[in-house]
Amino acid sequence: MSHLLKKELSELLNKQMLLGLLVSFILIVMLGFVMTSTVSGTLEESGEVHIIDLDQTDFTNQIVSKLEEKGYTVKSVSDTRPYEVILSEQNWNDAAVLPEGLTDLLLNQQEACQIDSVTVLKTTSTMSIAFAESSSADYVTSAINLLLSEIYLTEDMAFLEKPVTATPYTVANGKSVQANSAALVGSLAMFDQLMPLVLFLLIVLTSQTIITAVAAEKTDKTLETLLSSPVPRSVIIGAKMLAALITALIYAAVYGAGFLVSLLANVDRTAENVDIAEAFTSMMNTQDAVRTLGLQIPFLGWVGVILQLLLTIGIALTASMILGGLVEDAKGSQTASLPILVCTMFPYILSMVSDIRGMGSLKYLLYCIPFTHTFIATGCLRFHDTGLFFGGMIYQIIFLAGIAFAALKLYQSDILFTHQFANKRTKN
Amino acid sequence: MNYALDVQHIAKSYGKKQAVKDVSFQIQAGEIFGLMGMNGAGKTTILRMLATLLRPDAGDALIAGNSIVKNPEKVRADISYLPDEAGAYKTMTGKNYLKFIAGLYFKEEKDQKECVARGKEICGLGDALNQKISTYSRGMTRKLVLARTVMTKPKLAILDEPTSGLDVLNSLDIRKTIRKCAEEYGTAFLLSSHHMQEVSSTAHRGAIMKDGEFLAEGTPEELLQKYQASTLEEAFEKAVRNA
Repeated sequence: MSHLLKKELSELLNKQMLLGLLVSFILIVMLGFVMTSTVSGTLEESGEVHIIDLDQTDFTNQIVSKLEEKGYTVKSVSDTRPYEVILSEQNWNDAAVLPEGLTDLLLNQQEACQIDSVTVLKTTSTMSIAFAESSSADYVTSAINLLLSEIYLTEDMAFLEKPVTATPYTVANGKSVQANSAALVGSLAMFDQLMPLVLFLLIVLTSQTIITAVAAEKTDKTLETLLSSPVPRSVIIGAKMLAALITALIYAAVYGAGFLVSLLANVDRTAENVDIAEAFTSMMNTQDAVRTLGLQIPFLGWVGVILQLLLTIGIALTASMILGGLVEDAKGSQTASLPILVCTMFPYILSMVSDIRGMGSLKYLLYCIPFTHTFIATGCLRFHDTGLFFGGMIYQIIFLAGIAFAALKLYQSDILFTHQFANKRTKN
Repeated sequence: MNYALDVQHIAKSYGKKQAVKDVSFQIQAGEIFGLMGMNGAGKTTILRMLATLLRPDAGDALIAGNSIVKNPEKVRADISYLPDEAGAYKTMTGKNYLKFIAGLYFKEEKDQKECVARGKEICGLGDALNQKISTYSRGMTRKLVLARTVMTKPKLAILDEPTSGLDVLNSLDIRKTIRKCAEEYGTAFLLSSHHMQEVSSTAHRGAIMKDGEFLAEGTPEELLQKYQASTLEEAFEKAVRNA
């Protein structure tokens, strides 16, 4: 076995692969930094308030002062030209327009009034839309409301500034705790989102690697040499799969490290802009809430998750051995990996955007795909769905045993060399 | 008599097409047997069945007394198969490739070293063995894979078109190697070829095949006499056209 394993590893872990891995690592880290810079840039921009002041009174000046008092950078112009001309000239993405007569309406006639909110549409990206929700007009409206409260509300009516506030409670696993659910999800997301991404990459990369390797052996006819040698076929298959698994784990380690470096860089940069003590307290509170709700995964749970991860890779590798064996030449290897790609992509994407466990009858179809159980493994453990977790693991073990048996049978049969005769005549 | 290879009524079909029909023949130790036939005659199917890659639909073959149907694992220890246009692992050097193959056949390091030494001598590639196989010419690759086929001293070496696509000098080298190994190691050779010259100059005996059947079998002289021909090519033409 070690003899064959050495050969398989020397085929897979060549200079090109290691160079590619290094480039991938650098790209992932760079991507993390670029994304952090983009988010920071957008956040900085969102702290800037743009005003087109067409009223120019003491009251509008007070609005500017109030906003500056709250920490915003206010840029104000008084210009009657069309909005598009002003925003283009000032290079603004949005602006709040204070119309002529605003002060008179609000302070003298005491009537409700409207201000214009202007937004420049440059992209349809989700992030820009999310940040566009907090526009200059929102900040200006809040500042006006605050100023009017100070003017019209007497001291004992000050509570009307914020008459109602909501205290967030989160319920999970039959318990409730005073905590914001978004903050809880955020604290758990680091691993729960990283693991499926790494798993997705692993399945796709390793299956492609092994299908290409087997197809190349068929094309070069080195597979015929191996299969006619005195080495048991189970050893030949085992060595190929073990080599692919080792390669996959190297990929996983490098990719995981790349994402981790990106995440840490993000945390580090964010920390520069916040009060460390406040952030730490908030983090500790969130961790307490996670513990109270029973959302943390115990050590044995993580062992189970890793076991499911290995089972999934084992299934992907074995399926790839079968598909690679049925490929006629290296050209067909791209198409051959399609079934594995589809079976990985569906549970991955659906687990990212929704809770598969609550998908009605569709969930049963997804449960039939053995990879699904690993994608939802952490969710099952956090929400104490141990039946589904262990059921999924047993299903994966049975599936792996079945597919490994099929692979062994295939490599012991002559289907490897005769299946192409079904469609065409070849040299015999 | 103990044959190196004793083929008994083997047959193989691919769907409705019968590729090999009830073929029987024997080869002795140190004997070279050539299968001659056009594309689709069934030569490669016979070789693949004997290499235990394909399972016969009927019949059996004994290699050094072991059945290819009942004992394929034992058979694999006594054979060595060289497929048509077989390549080698391009990322390896020639030397490492020989070491790798030796490791498949021998457990003891001493045996492996002796095997590799034989391989080096047989292929005659010298210092080029330290280069990666990706840099080899077609002729060099063929010499290397032939060396790995015979260096294990198999009881039966199965060679599919051993000189296809090679120039005259490389072909001559390969033929010399086959004859030398048959004499020195007592290895029985079963080779397939389109080239009558190859069979007449290399093989002790041969068979002419068409549509999965043997039309004639014997020494080159016997085949010439049977078809009243002056060359084996002429004998082949008469045999195939009159069949």
